[in-house]
Amino acid sequence: MPVSSAVRATEVLLALSMLLQTLEYLRMRQALTVQGLWAWPVQRADIPAGPVQKLLDLLFADRAMQGHLLLRLPVLLLLAWHGSDLALAVFLFASHVLMLIRWRGAFNGGSDFMTLVVLTGLLSAQLVQLGGDPHLAWRAGLWYICLQSITSYFMSGWVKLMQPEWRNGHAMTIFLNAAIYGPLSASSFLRRPWLARLGAWAFIGWECAAPLALLHPLVALVFCTIALLFHFLVFWFFGLNRFFWAWLATFPAILACSAQRVFW
Amino acid sequence: MIEALFLLYFLVLLATLVFKSRIVTGPWLFLLRAFFPNWKFFHATGNVPHLYARWALPPEAPSDLLQWSDWIHVFPRRPRRLLHLFHNADTNLALVQQNLVEHLAADLNHMTADADARALVSYQLVSRLVCQSLQAQQADCTHGQFEVRMVLDGPMGFIQEDTMMRSPVLACR
Repeated sequence: MPVSSAVRATEVLLALSMLLQTLEYLRMRQALTVQGLWAWPVQRADIPAGPVQKLLDLLFADRAMQGHLLLRLPVLLLLAWHGSDLALAVFLFASHVLMLIRWRGAFNGGSDFMTLVVLTGLLSAQLVQLGGDPHLAWRAGLWYICLQSITSYFMSGWVKLMQPEWRNGHAMTIFLNAAIYGPLSASSFLRRPWLARLGAWAFIGWECAAPLALLHPLVALVFCTIALLFHFLVFWFFGLNRFFWAWLATFPAILACSAQRVFW
Repeated sequence: MIEALFLLYFLVLLATLVFKSRIVTGPWLFLLRAFFPNWKFFHATGNVPHLYARWALPPEAPSDLLQWSDWIHVFPRRPRRLLHLFHNADTNLALVQQNLVEHLAADLNHMTADADARALVSYQLVSRLVCQSLQAQQADCTHGQFEVRMVLDGPMGFIQEDTMMRSPVLACR
């Protein structure tokens, strides 16, 4: 995949991912009001007293918060339609960081982290372009996104490999039972120990081998196809829809970097 | 040369899994932890904090003792829909509430002996969660109480649980 196509694909997929996140935030805005569970007057104690706390008091007031989320919608449509520029990248980066602080560091864990990775790649590319070659700037941005994405699979796989409960398949059943769509029915085929062990080892092996995706574009394509299935299954069993879109936005970077034939 | 750098990078990542270092903490590091992702998902089984709560109606006379309901497990379960791939606000909100319980358990673990849990933001948010959950079940309840229990599950289900803390009585109105 050429760098220019990868950049456009990343922008469109990031816009889609953040658009879905924003619509969800708007749907749950009642929870963030003064009467809601996540009332800012309670949460502000997380912030050390000082000018930053006062600034956040203004930004997280009910109406300001709603205005901020509504403003994200046209900005994201602009990103998808027109592409990024520095002002747009700065706004989306700052907006995402603000939302992370509002949710005490993370709303949805890994998907927030990966969205931040893609935004960082986008912002870095825009900043480097100010004083240099745009093509080099985008290559650097894509490599950052690609490496972080590959690292996420690699670390996630190896950390599982080190746990005996993952190696014997028990962990998979335990997590599926505790999931939001759980518990598994007594007759579920996923309760079969051999299947749980096989599934666990398949995902561990695939995740640990993630760096191999950089060897060849075809390997990267196969890797991303399996990743798509993997994230769909994570959504299907754990309800983590945001993971699907957040990681999907990194696939163009993986495909583009593998096509640069760094290793052969 | 570039191959060696990549190899070194992934070897260093592996080394971080084997050699543990001191964990740096701080309010801003907690709030900005997204900048330092460890990419460990669903990695370890073991004791998981679960929230249990109970409610009481207002006593008929001031001298009456509160009559408590049974303990209720406050744990998100939701129906699955394919459309949720695109919009899953309710489930995601439920998941972040479960994360909140995990943060409270972690905060309690790190608390010094003379500290008051009620000062914790996580405690205050969980108290609000408990009152909201109880009032959703029993609209006229005026009092609530919650427990954080550490539950150990195995592949066949529940193995054991220990109560980590019981809150004072909460005024839910």
